[in-house]
Amino acid sequence: MRFLEEQFHKVAPLFGKGGKFEKLYPFYEAGDTFLLSPGERTKSGPHVRDSLDLKRTMITVVLALLPCTLFALFNTGYQEIRATTDPTLGPLDVNFARALYLGLLSFLPVYIVTVAVGGLLEALFAVVRKHEINEGFLVTSLLFPLTLPPDIPLWQVALGIAFGVVIGKEVFGGTGMNILNPALTGRIFLYFAYPAQISGDLVWIGDSANWVDGFSGATPLATFYSAQGDLTQMAYSWSDAFWGFVPGSMGETSAAACVLGAFILLFTKIGSWRIMAGCVLGGLGMTLLFNAVGEGYHDVPFHWHLVVGSFAFGTVFMATDPVSASQTDTGRWIYGFGIGALTILVRVINPAYPAGIMLAIIFMNVFAPLIDYYVVRANIRRREVRLGLQ
Amino acid sequence: MDFSNKYVVGFAVVLCLVCAAAVSVLAVELKPQQEANMLLDRRTNVLRVAGVLETGETRTAEEINAFFEDGRIEYLVVERASGKVVDDPSTIEGIDSAESFDATKWAKDNAKNDQLTSPIDPAYKETQMRVVPAYLQVIKVTTDEVDCLVLPIQGYGLWSTLRGYLAVSRDLSHVIGITYYEHGETPGLGGEVDNPSWKAQFPGKEIYGDQGEPILEVKKSGMVTEPSHQVDGMAGATITTDGVDLMLEFWLGDGGYGPYLKAQRGDA
Amino acid sequence: MDKETKRILLDPLHLKNPITLQVLGICSALAVTTKLETALVMSAALTFVLTSSNTVISLLRNRIPGSIRIITQLAIIASLVIVADQVMKAYAFGVYKQLSVFVGLIITNCIVMGRAEAFAMANPPLKSALDGFANSMGYAAILLYVGFFRELFGSGKILGFPVLEATNAGGWYVPNGLLVLSPGAFFLIGLLIWVQRSLSTELVEETN
Repeated sequence: MRFLEEQFHKVAPLFGKGGKFEKLYPFYEAGDTFLLSPGERTKSGPHVRDSLDLKRTMITVVLALLPCTLFALFNTGYQEIRATTDPTLGPLDVNFARALYLGLLSFLPVYIVTVAVGGLLEALFAVVRKHEINEGFLVTSLLFPLTLPPDIPLWQVALGIAFGVVIGKEVFGGTGMNILNPALTGRIFLYFAYPAQISGDLVWIGDSANWVDGFSGATPLATFYSAQGDLTQMAYSWSDAFWGFVPGSMGETSAAACVLGAFILLFTKIGSWRIMAGCVLGGLGMTLLFNAVGEGYHDVPFHWHLVVGSFAFGTVFMATDPVSASQTDTGRWIYGFGIGALTILVRVINPAYPAGIMLAIIFMNVFAPLIDYYVVRANIRRREVRLGLQ
Repeated sequence: MDFSNKYVVGFAVVLCLVCAAAVSVLAVELKPQQEANMLLDRRTNVLRVAGVLETGETRTAEEINAFFEDGRIEYLVVERASGKVVDDPSTIEGIDSAESFDATKWAKDNAKNDQLTSPIDPAYKETQMRVVPAYLQVIKVTTDEVDCLVLPIQGYGLWSTLRGYLAVSRDLSHVIGITYYEHGETPGLGGEVDNPSWKAQFPGKEIYGDQGEPILEVKKSGMVTEPSHQVDGMAGATITTDGVDLMLEFWLGDGGYGPYLKAQRGDA
Repeated sequence: MDKETKRILLDPLHLKNPITLQVLGICSALAVTTKLETALVMSAALTFVLTSSNTVISLLRNRIPGSIRIITQLAIIASLVIVADQVMKAYAFGVYKQLSVFVGLIITNCIVMGRAEAFAMANPPLKSALDGFANSMGYAAILLYVGFFRELFGSGKILGFPVLEATNAGGWYVPNGLLVLSPGAFFLIGLLIWVQRSLSTELVEETN
């Protein structure tokens, strides 16, 4: 450590003001603070109310994402083995190492492209705007591949993350200034730009050309619609969906892994429990409303809604993004509740967009500042009344 | 500047008169040309679906109109339930001529008249149409190369009502073509209904099974097992695909053109 | 060309562009720009309406009573819009079908009313005509830019001719569906505003 520190200090003047590599300062800074504890705290951004700095916040989120990522590797491989050999194979019947290997084969290229393209753009903006390269991208670059189907063309991955980073974040001024979640912005871009590669029944399991005859790659969520809520027609059991042994976006299938991640985020107080609770309550409320008025798809019980699609993943990792979420406690409840309710609304009413949570979160991202504004106004008014000023 | 009330009123009146006159004269002057355009547009669609015109091929207005004026193309009005051809369509209230007859519009306009519309067929409900027309339009196309029937069809997709034509061979053995001239589906997904390469799957597909039941189907993308009468659906557009499938089933069945087509088969 | 004429002609193209700076006429800029052809025809229709409405209103400007000023402008603009609409329906039916209601909706295009109220009511006819024309060109420039990129990347064509062979026609290019949808136009216009403000920093508002 000592040695490293000395090395960094030795080259520091080269990157400082007037140094030879002044333009490359962001790279130096990134390396320095990544390896060593920085001497100064970040001055702006989403974490000002906390003694934690951005870097450690983001690393914790990455840690919380690990269960999902590891599970993604296995499930992606497992689904592929199942689809190409025997659809009835259970998760314990397949060769674990081979499943992991196939999963890596699908996930790794997507991840590498995300990091390379996104990182390059981050660096470019950092150099041009003369600010630091931000660790926020570590989280974005892991979240984004987890939301993608396994066989997605790599050029689409590149385009998606580029859009997410530039339009979702940099146009607003970089990390801490963005109103939208960059990973989701990229995902939504792909969804609307190249819908054929990111929706339907053929994309959620790899190697679709070699599937056994008659195998349906439909996700549980898609089956809800086509079976009109008839649970007996589901190809997967509730526990399959809870553990995540179902087709879907690579990292989003397992509610169990998300719960694990949620524990890490809540224990370290990095994710807001109010937002997560709000999401679940909102979803519950909307589901009960549908259960009360309708039949068919309307009648799907809430415990199913919780485990299919990306409800869990979105609630735990996307909705709680500290930058684009509401910042006030009351605001967080409203924001979370809105996401949960909208998700179920979109899911049930508009089957064209089964992935309702993605739209719901971006929608509420846009409203987050407004919610905060009114929460703060209400607070001010309450105090004024208390002080007799009004 | 101050203007008297008299001036203000006078100014308004003169302005209105001038504007109204200019607009009216123009509208009346241009009307024949506009109507000719709309007619030509409808006729072109019919020729395209019948395969008289290739995709992308254009003809002059005279050439297109010639097909319709020398009897190579004949418009009929048929009674939906019985399948009988109406001898003189103009005797039915609200119908001017067989060519200008728009079954859906007519059904809507005459919705209050119970005798003219049949009770709603359950299958019709699925196509999202509120009223069942009691009469339908059929277009007979007889040229040197093609001999077919063109049937106006419509039904619900995901976002919008799709309107189009289905052309079937005169002996009802196979499809000649399909076209949608009006829809509002998602571009790239359901919007592919008007993509020539998707529509190109239709020609040659069988329509009726041995028992005379409609067997022409659009299957979910990648789920075609019997290509002789199944069409591969649009990828990622389940609901539009289902809509087209339902539309074909309905219009070719007993609630739609079925009775008329059956009678035709009897002739042949 | 004197300085003022130059300013009237050039400002609407960049520094006072009706769409990207005054954010007027956005509706049609989103709706009719999936193809370059419709964008072109729409621009032509607006140029006709805006130039003639500015001229007519400027000619009448000293006779229009202030109390019924707005409705007078509206009547004149509406008549001109109907003229454009009817003529297109008669002589350019193919494009007319694609533009559908949007020719008629020129009447609600804020650029037309805006120029009538802000310029034509206070300036002589020739200048007003120039102003109308220049603003139409500012509008047209944005429409053509948006239409060009939306058609090129959204369907791989330019003016209907295949440039990038699209996959749904047997080629290699996967069309970008987002650009075919209206939000695609929003992003393109937004990016252009970004470029404009980076080029001319005087456009950037002062922050407090």
